Parts: sequence; structure tokens; C-alpha cells
Amino acid sequence: MADFNVSSRIDGDVNLIDVKGYLDAHTAPDLENEFNKLIEKKQFKVVVNFSELNYISSAGLGVFMAYVETMREQSGDIKFSNLREDVYSIFDLLGFPVLYEFYKEEKDAIKKFG
Amino acid sequence: MNSLITSILEGNKKNKLEKFIFSIVILVLFKIFFPLVNATVLVLINEILIFASLSLGFLYFVEITSSKSDNPISLSLNVGILSAILFFIISISAAIFDTIENIEDVNGVIYTFSSVIISQLFILSAVYILASFQTFYSIRQKRVNENYFDYLLIAILLSAFSGMLSKISSELQFVEKTFFFVAIVLVVFNSFRVSWIAFLTKKQKIFILFTSIIISGLFGLNFAMFFDNNIIEQIVGNFSPGVKISYRLIMLYGNVYFGIIFFTTLFHLPTAGAFDQKSEEITSLIDLSKLMTQVLDFKELADSLTDATNKVCNSDSAWLVTIENGENNLISVNNIGYLEAKNISDELLSEFKEQLTDVVSMNKKLIKIKLKNDVRTYIFQAIIIAPLKVHGKTNGFLFATKRQKYKFEQDEKKAVGAFADYAAIALENAKLFKESVEKERMENELEVARNIQMRILPSENPKNEQLEVDALFVPAFEVGGDYYDFFQLGNNKLGFVIADVSGKGVVASYVMAEVKGIFESLSRVIQNPKELLIETNDILKKSLSKNSFVTALYGIIDIENGKLNFARAGHTPLVICSEGKIKEYLPKGIGLGLDFGTIFSSNIDNMEIELNNNDILMLYTDGITESRNSSNEEFGFDKLSKVVENNCNAELTQITRSIFEEVSLFSKEQQQHDDITLVLFKWKNFKKSLEKLNG
Repeated sequence: MADFNVSSRIDGDVNLIDVKGYLDAHTAPDLENEFNKLIEKKQFKVVVNFSELNYISSAGLGVFMAYVETMREQSGDIKFSNLREDVYSIFDLLGFPVLYEFYKEEKDAIKKFG
Repeated sequence: MNSLITSILEGNKKNKLEKFIFSIVILVLFKIFFPLVNATVLVLINEILIFASLSLGFLYFVEITSSKSDNPISLSLNVGILSAILFFIISISAAIFDTIENIEDVNGVIYTFSSVIISQLFILSAVYILASFQTFYSIRQKRVNENYFDYLLIAILLSAFSGMLSKISSELQFVEKTFFFVAIVLVVFNSFRVSWIAFLTKKQKIFILFTSIIISGLFGLNFAMFFDNNIIEQIVGNFSPGVKISYRLIMLYGNVYFGIIFFTTLFHLPTAGAFDQKSEEITSLIDLSKLMTQVLDFKELADSLTDATNKVCNSDSAWLVTIENGENNLISVNNIGYLEAKNISDELLSEFKEQLTDVVSMNKKLIKIKLKNDVRTYIFQAIIIAPLKVHGKTNGFLFATKRQKYKFEQDEKKAVGAFADYAAIALENAKLFKESVEKERMENELEVARNIQMRILPSENPKNEQLEVDALFVPAFEVGGDYYDFFQLGNNKLGFVIADVSGKGVVASYVMAEVKGIFESLSRVIQNPKELLIETNDILKKSLSKNSFVTALYGIIDIENGKLNFARAGHTPLVICSEGKIKEYLPKGIGLGLDFGTIFSSNIDNMEIELNNNDILMLYTDGITESRNSSNEEFGFDKLSKVVENNCNAELTQITRSIFEEVSLFSKEQQQHDDITLVLFKWKNFKKSLEKLNG
């Protein structure tokens, strides 16, 4: 199975999640865990850095859909940054850019949280 | 002759009993016919009959006593009770009756009968006791071909017959005495057959210690009383002098044997505890290996293991921790609190992490554990930590601790190691079993999902002269949730849909079934693809979970004039190949289930296209474009469009086959991880062809 790795950092009150490798039905639970930890810590401002993500499946996309509501209700959000072109096209085809904010650079996303 | 003897000696228990009773009957008849035995010949016949009967009795009794060979305690109790009864009868009768003068000449039916009964009682008891000794002798016998007991039997027989000799002539008494002496030597020699004592438990040893001295005393008294002049001795002696001698020898055997049992047990007693320990260790190891093959629940086995650890290793408490995903899981505790064990093992494991590749033992260990409000200190005299290792991987640890007692002995440490090994194997077995069950369950589930999917998809494609239709569906091993369908709308319109449900397996196939139901019914009432998808999204609101969505593309073709109207909800684009040129059509529209409000409805558009003669219309799911090869590259849209372009003028079935072949060739050796769906249309403009013909 393809590898997947998730880790998180903090910049001010914004939490940065780095995703690496292949995000699919088998690896999605790892990302869910990360989100659960943030919610436990009452951290709702999240930027997901996709710079090292190679592939995302529908199950991977589902993770963001499952958590975004909670974040937004707590006046936070999930924003995406540094997507590779092919990964972005998956989001784009589905219409994610209508519902989520995408940024070229992580710092732009952080700035948006103000 | 030989075969005659063998045929007498052989036979089962019942045969032996029959022969024995038969011999007694003959003996009794003989005694009735010849109440007074004076002639030498008669004495000889008398003795031979008696000993033949006794031998048969002995063979029968050995059958009974040898069935008790695994329970020497009960056997010795039997013997003890028997000798007590004999002693009782002798004492009582000696007290009540005087000796009879000139017993050789006493005659009469009453005397004959009572003498036969009394003699038989004593003789048979003695023979039963002798048979028991034979069984004692054979218990735990290591070497075969040891005939000392047989020699003893022969010595008893010889001294018995020589007793007759001394009756005939008192000068021959030395023969009797010699054989008697030889018999005594053999009795003493055989009496050292007491190795079975070692295998008794401590409790049993204490029991046998007390009973053996009593039984030995009883036998001694019985032996001594037969030298005394009393009525029983007189009667038995008159019945047969040889029997009297054998009786004495057997009583002496009892006296010596139980005396030796007493002393042996006495010497064994100090080590009895240690011996118990060892045998318990062996027993629990046997029990555990039995348990390993029978119990698949690891928790149950772990409980037995910690229990056995405490018993065998003399520890106060034992507990077992497994490591799953880097976390310590306390599985079983024995004689220690759950929380206590958890805290202590967490502390110990973090302290000794690196050293725990082999069994570790430590003495005088102080463990401080910080609780919420205070610090608790545990003092252990000794701790053993044994890793659960399988294939060089440590899956957990077995702990054994002593709080009050002394440190662990080397063999106790080894035993903990052995138990840990058992636990490691059992844990591995349990894991493999769980995995296979899980796999089977998943396969059953997938079978269900595949069945659902096959029922949902159209069994055949619509047939129309102007609109050719072909479709390809290749299910993935884990059902992917692809769906396509056609709806005949009036005479000249065909509705079509292609959809992909997120997720896999049974859940995806149920959503798929629902999606089919929605499209089936909405296609009849809503003629506007965009409105239809908005309505579909609204209905799915109730059933889609937060993290799942459906991409779909719905359209209607007017077969007569080639007008196509469609809308897309997050699905892959519609592709048209017109005169060898590929074109993608991608009206905006987000996936079903991404939003259930105005964002969805305000971000979706219809798209109208007029098809040209022989245009190929293609719908597909991402299972095609996301197929991967061995170097993990995607098939991609470019390759797909190239195949279509190259075959634009070919038959529809040919295009389908080419695409399938290309994808298969590309992703060979790689498992197909998503469903592959492809729907192709070829529209023919009859009007145009007519015009051409006319023109």
C-alpha cells in the first residue's frame, strides 16, 4: 500500500496539517485522528498543506467534508494550500473551490484567518 | 503341558473369576470327602489343591488391584483395612475361644465347614494383600524384565511346601527354615519398591506417613499372632500347614513394606513442597498447551497464564500487557488491582524499554507513581519482566512480582519466560484467527455488494437505429459504487445517467441503489437535467452521511434531431469525438452531497449541444483515468482521449474494446482499486444521410 503521513504544526492560533503521500480509504482514518485531536483541543482554525500529497481519493475528500461544518460552527475553517496541479484538479472537478478556500501559499491561508 | 498352563493362566477377568471359583469348589468337596488328612498322599493333594486355588485367586485379584495402580493411596487403605479386619478377628476369637486339643483328630460337619470358611477368609485376604503388593511393586517400575516379585512368589510357594515336609519328618525342618529365610530376604528386597511415594502430593505424603505406620503395626501384630498359639492359627494350620507359612510371610511383607513406606515418606517429606511445585509446573504447562489449541479468545488464555505464573513461580501478582500500535494494553491481572498494574507496567516499560529484549529480573525495586494528588510508592522484593516475542517482534510483556517473599529463583525466572513464550504464540494465533474471520466477513459483505450492483445496472443497452449504445462495466474487488442507466422518455428521447458514489463496499452499493431509485422516478417527471440534479441532491440530503458524496452526470438526447441537454454534478466531463477530434464539455456543478442549499443550486448549469452525424459521445468514471501502472502513474485523460480519437470512426464495440485493452495493458499486475465504467453513444443523422442521398 502506498504511504501516507500526517503531522501538524502551530502558527499562532492557526493549526497547520501537513499531509504526505496517498490519502485514500485506508489512510483517511489517520487524518480523521488528527482532526479529532484538534477538536479535542478546541482548535478550529485549520490550514491543510498539500505540498507533498500525491493523490486523494473520494474517501480522503470525505474527511474534509465531515469536519468542515464543526470548524465553521466554532468560527474556524478548513483552508487548503500548496496543492499540486493534478491534486487540485480532483478538487476542482468536484466543485470544492465553491465551498472551500484554496491558496497557493500556506502563509496566505494563515493570513486569511487574521 | 505348557499350553495347558498358559490356557489356565490366560483369559479375561471373568474367566479368571470362574476358574478361581471352580478351584474353590473342588477344594471344598475334597475337604468334605477327606475331613481328616493324615496320609502323606492326601496331604500332598490337599496342598496342591489349595495352592492351585490360591494361584488362581492371586491372578484374579491382581486384575482388581492393578486397576487401582494409579491410586496407591486407596490401594494401601484397602490393604490396611483388610489387615485390620484380620487382626480384629484373630484378637476376638483368641479372647473368646480356647485352643482345641488334638485338632488333627477333630471331626464333624460343623467343624469342617467353619474351618474351611475361616481358613478361606484368611487365605484369600492374604492372597488379596499379596496381589496388592504385586501392584505396588509394578507402580512406576522403570525397568522391564525385573522378576524379583516372581522369585518371591516362588520362595513363598517353596517354603509353604517345605512346611509339609517338616510335618512329615521333623528332621527336614531345616529345609522349611531355609526357604523361609530366603523368602524373608526377598520380602525385604522387594519392599524397597516405593518410588511411587515421590509422586504423591505433599498432602498425600502426610496422609500416607500416618497410615503406613499404623498399617505396618497391624501387619506386625498379625505376623506375631500367627506364632502364638491361638485358635485361628490352629484352624488355618490344620487346614494347610503351607498356607500358614505363606500367610506369615505375607504379613511380614506387609509389616516390612509399610515400615519402609513410612521411613521413605518421612525422608521425602521435606522436599515434598518442592516436588509439588515442579509437578504443578509441568501440569500447568500441559494445561496451557491444551488451552492454546482450544481457546481462541486471547483474554481467556491470558487469565490462565497469569494464574499459572503466580502458582508456579510463587509470585504474589502477575499481569500481562500487550502492545498494539505502540500502546500498552493491560489484558489480564492476577492478584493485583487493574489500575495499579497499569501504572506500574507503564512506569517499568518506559524505564527499561531498551533492555527488554530478554527476560529481565530485578530485586528490591522501588516504584513511585504520581497520581493526581499524591505520590504512591510500591516496594517490590523482586520483579520479572518477560517479553512476548514472536518472529523477533515483541508484542507484549508478562510481569511477575513478589512483594513480601524473597527474590525469584533461576527456575522460576525460566518458567516466567516459558509462559511469556506461550502467550506470544497464543497472541499471534488469536490475531491470525481474528484476521481470517474479518477477511471472511469482508468477503461475504463484498459478495452482497456485488450482487446489489449487478442488479442495479441495466441488463442490456437500449437499441435504436439512430442511436447506438454500448457500455463497459468492470467491478473492482472492493465494490466501488459506479452506476449508469438509461431511461426511455417517450418515443424519441433517451435519458441517461452515470454516477459514482464515494466510498466502497456495501455502504456504497446501498447509496447506489437509492440513487437509482431517485433517477428512475425523477427522470419521468423532470425534463430539465439541472432541475433533476438539484432535486436529487435535495432527496439525498436525508440519506448521505457527512463524509460521502455522489458525482453524477444526467442528460437527455433527442434521438431524432441529435439535440443533447445535460447537467453535471461534480462528475468527469462529457466527451464528444466529432470527426476525429475530441472535445470535453464541463458545465459547472458541484458533487451531490457537498452542499444541500443554495450553493449547490446556484452553481449548476445545463449545457446544450447539437450532435453531428456519427459523433461519438462518451461518459466515464474516474476508475479509468485513475487506473495505475506498476510505477504508480495514472492512466489519465490524455491516453483515454487518444484511444478514442484513433478509433473515432470505428464501431462502438471496437472503441469500447480498445479502451478496455489499453487500460488493462497499462495497469496489468496492479490491482484494480475502483470500478471502471464507460458508456458510449453514436448518433446517426438520418435526415442528413437522406439529404446526401437525395442531393
